[in-house]
Amino acid sequence: MSATIVESRALLETVIASVVAGVGVTLVFSIAIWGVARFVDLSRGERPVAATAAAAVAAVALAATAAVLVVGILVMTGK
Amino acid sequence: MGSDVILVIVVGTALAFDFTNGFHDTANVVATSISTGAARPRVAIAMAALLNFAGAFISISVAATVANDVVNADVITPTIVFAGLIGAIAWNLVTWYFGLPSSSSHALIGGVVGSAVAAVGFDAVLADGLVGKVLIPALVAPVLAFTVAGISIGLIYRIVGGERPGTVTRGFKYGQVVSGGLLALAHGTNDAQKTMGVITLALIANGSLSAGADPPFWVIASAATAIALGTYSGGWRIIKTTGTRIIKMDAAQGFSSQGAGSAVILASTHFGFPLSTTHVINGGIMGAGAAKRLSAVRWGVAGNIVTAWVLTLPAAAGIGALAYGLTRIFGTGALGPVVVTVASLALIAALFARRAERGAPVTAAGG
Repeated sequence: MSATIVESRALLETVIASVVAGVGVTLVFSIAIWGVARFVDLSRGERPVAATAAAAVAAVALAATAAVLVVGILVMTGK
Repeated sequence: MGSDVILVIVVGTALAFDFTNGFHDTANVVATSISTGAARPRVAIAMAALLNFAGAFISISVAATVANDVVNADVITPTIVFAGLIGAIAWNLVTWYFGLPSSSSHALIGGVVGSAVAAVGFDAVLADGLVGKVLIPALVAPVLAFTVAGISIGLIYRIVGGERPGTVTRGFKYGQVVSGGLLALAHGTNDAQKTMGVITLALIANGSLSAGADPPFWVIASAATAIALGTYSGGWRIIKTTGTRIIKMDAAQGFSSQGAGSAVILASTHFGFPLSTTHVINGGIMGAGAAKRLSAVRWGVAGNIVTAWVLTLPAAAGIGALAYGLTRIFGTGALGPVVVTVASLALIAALFARRAERGAPVTAAGG
């Protein structure tokens, strides 16, 4: 009985971790792509301030993506 | 002396099984990266082999589950482990011959459980571990990958749907280099550990390790090498069939399916759940396809996965039990495993020869 409870908790944590990691990485990476696409468009439209802001969003989102991946792998190797 | 001979045969058989696992699964790991043009086949396959090798070293939770939580190590003998491996390999060969989808992971666990039941009875099976750590996660994981991939691709289309397709596609192709690498790492982490677990179980059964011991480094290194070599060898066959067997999808779908598969496999590995990585990866691919349009999903494949899940465990268990019975005809020494190994090799050669005459099978087993 106790083993089943432990496995249920582990399974629930697996579900949560998978959703958070899988959807989270996709979300931040999509924002990075959006930032790059906006930067390209705004640069062509000669709107340097808005283009710089879009590039900053892309850079932060890319850094966040890398951070999530590194933390994920560190958590994996921690057990 | 006799038990050492059996142990050597078990280790060799387990590593051969690991090699075939990598061989079969190369397609699953690299398919989306090649299909979307994110990576050239040679690069994708070399990277997958390297990261499968690296992945095998980053965790031992799944190996611990296979070695300690599925069958009672106190009553297991190396001959039981050997018969279980024969059951798994035989089932994989049968499904490969007839072009049926299968799961190497489920076959391995089914084979060991079947031979253990034949040898000792149902007391040999740790029901809590088998149900809680194998059967339920096996059901949940593909559905979870399907859901995560579906949510992910929905988010992607919502965020970048209004942007220029060229920039977005290029971006996700770069992303796929990372997500594809992560998937290969995750695959190596979960699948190589099953072989480590079986070898560790055999070492415990032989008295070479104490119960509950971790896999020795040589076991980890040899399992990592076998799966990496299998991945690399299987890859060259895949290059020839690229474009005919690989599912067509866009780079964003490839990214979301690979990301979902990686997340599910890595999280499951962390908690020691031995999964069918093939089912998880296919679940992610179908989720990414379904979110775009339901008709994009190959529902026949989904049905085959369910059929394989239902059939593989009992079928491999039955063959494992039969293999144990055959082995025991020759007594408790090394003669039984030697005879069964020679007979199995002859059967494999005959199957390959017959298959070569009739042409390649349509589908293959997976992890």
